[in-house]
Amino acid sequence: MSKQSEHQQEFRERREKDLLRHIIKTSLNYKLWIAFLILIILIGMYGYYRQLKYGLIVTAMRDYTSWGIYISNFVFFVAISLVGSLFSSILKLNKNEWSKPLTRISEIIAVSAIICAIVIIIVDMGRPDRFFYVIRYLRIQSPIIWDVIIISTYLVISLILLYSSLLPDLALCRDRLTAIPQWKKKLYRMLAINWRNHPNQLDMLQKVTKILAISVLPVAFAIHTVTSWLFATTWRPGWDSTNLGPYFVSGAFMAGAAAIIIAMYFIRKSLHLKAYITEAHFDKMGKLLVLLSLVYLYFNINEYLGPAFKMVGVEGEHIIELFVGKYAPMYWFVQLGGLVLPIVFLLFKGMRRSLPIFIISTFIILGAWFKRFLIVIPSLQHPYLPIQGVDESYLHYNPTWEEWAITLASFAWFLLIITILIKLFPIIPIQKHEHVSKRHPILNF
Amino acid sequence: MKATLFNIIWVLKISWSVLIIFFSFNTVLAQEDDMMEDAKIELSFIEDADSKIIVATATNKNDEPIEDLELYFYVKRSFSNLPIGDFFNATDETGTIKVEFPNDLPGDPEGNVAILVKLMDSDLYNDMTLETIKKWGVPSPSPSQFHEKRSLWAAAANAPIPLILIISALIFSIWFIICYIIYILFKIRKIGMVT
Repeated sequence: MSKQSEHQQEFRERREKDLLRHIIKTSLNYKLWIAFLILIILIGMYGYYRQLKYGLIVTAMRDYTSWGIYISNFVFFVAISLVGSLFSSILKLNKNEWSKPLTRISEIIAVSAIICAIVIIIVDMGRPDRFFYVIRYLRIQSPIIWDVIIISTYLVISLILLYSSLLPDLALCRDRLTAIPQWKKKLYRMLAINWRNHPNQLDMLQKVTKILAISVLPVAFAIHTVTSWLFATTWRPGWDSTNLGPYFVSGAFMAGAAAIIIAMYFIRKSLHLKAYITEAHFDKMGKLLVLLSLVYLYFNINEYLGPAFKMVGVEGEHIIELFVGKYAPMYWFVQLGGLVLPIVFLLFKGMRRSLPIFIISTFIILGAWFKRFLIVIPSLQHPYLPIQGVDESYLHYNPTWEEWAITLASFAWFLLIITILIKLFPIIPIQKHEHVSKRHPILNF
Repeated sequence: MKATLFNIIWVLKISWSVLIIFFSFNTVLAQEDDMMEDAKIELSFIEDADSKIIVATATNKNDEPIEDLELYFYVKRSFSNLPIGDFFNATDETGTIKVEFPNDLPGDPEGNVAILVKLMDSDLYNDMTLETIKKWGVPSPSPSQFHEKRSLWAAAANAPIPLILIISALIFSIWFIICYIIYILFKIRKIGMVT
């Protein structure tokens, strides 16, 4: 009996050591990675400085294509942020044990993505100094206001979600990590808010976790549905659809799951966590990804079959442009390379191993980004009113270097926030604060 | 000494030429001003069942009709003047010109519109503008009438009540939950302080 408890003690110590190691040690690769990200951010900031100085004329956005890659990037980040709710709510409420080590990765990605979505929407504004006019001259009838409200709510919920699950681990960092700089000690002490693993504290934290697991789901659905309404309430071909809400939400879950797989692959390699993020996790994630992709495929068929069958007016022109026109290579790359082929490949067990599924997920993420481009830009180039007597540059949209630099910088911000959060906190939950409820089996997480 | 005297002479010469140029320039301008005269433009308005016509008659100071005088006709709008009539409108040998007023122009709530007739950039006559208010427009509803109805396209203060109620209820319920969670976190902190 004593030998068993000795083993348990040894296992616990080993686990703590493994999962806290990266907080204490800073590798050269980490420093180089941070420097690289900062360099990309600085280039993007120079592009943004030019945009502030000369105005939105430095972008390729004109009267017709008034939403460019900034907005498609915004939709992409909002989509990625939904992944937090997938793990912290859907998988948790369905009593999935295997997904627990991945929950924190998903919450960190959600926080980072929603911050970037907010930043990118301000970048898209010609006069960012007038941002608070949105509040001052608030019109509750405008879907843009609904989006501002729901995004800020989701940011707060995502932060609380991440924080509440981190709390026992923050106390562990406060107690165990002694050979760290003073500011880090202060940070852990402050964030751990006197957590002592007291039974009353544990009960309360469980309560918070349950409330959050249930309430984050409608907010997550709302955030992306309202984002889809920004398009659905605007009268343009391709957006004039009742299918847009579920189409956006299902696409978001697929992109989010792919983002988790990519993050898992890098975290597992760079932090040497093969024993904690196993091949079995990749296999499970692969199966989940197939399910989510099939749902998205279903909504894609719904989205394009109706208009393509009828081919009415400008709606038909829009479909031709996507299927066989200017945007056909991108469209078929997105639909085949980023949706159909990944489903087919992931049906095979061998493809659900870490490396192949990482490559497949990269294609899905690329497809997801370009899909948002295809949702935003070609529709804007086909207004219902005829285009007459305008400058040639109004008819096309080729993003300028400033737009690309700012967009890449937003990705660098996204990765920088994730990297810093991973460096500061244990990426896999160490302390378990959840127990099995016999009275409410649905809440067993 | 000689050099200084030479310089003073040059300064005087240049000053003199500048003065001559200045005065001659003024003289030329004065001559042009003297040549220009004020035209007299009289407006009359003919209105029957299906047409409204503006008639302008231009005469000079001797009351002789001015032929081929270009006049511009506008209707005052919120941000600029809307041109009416042909592209160029010139008087005939009797000094008269007729321009048809469109039947479908919106006016103020009573139907009043301001008609402007302008004489501009003529070689012989000074610029002038005549403004007349006529009840020839289609009456438009006043802004206060717009505000009466609550609708999706109304101003912020006139949003539909069900919309305000639904959105407020949603915001209130989710932020109530968030505040409750923050309250529990404070309680967790308090327990830790005691133990």
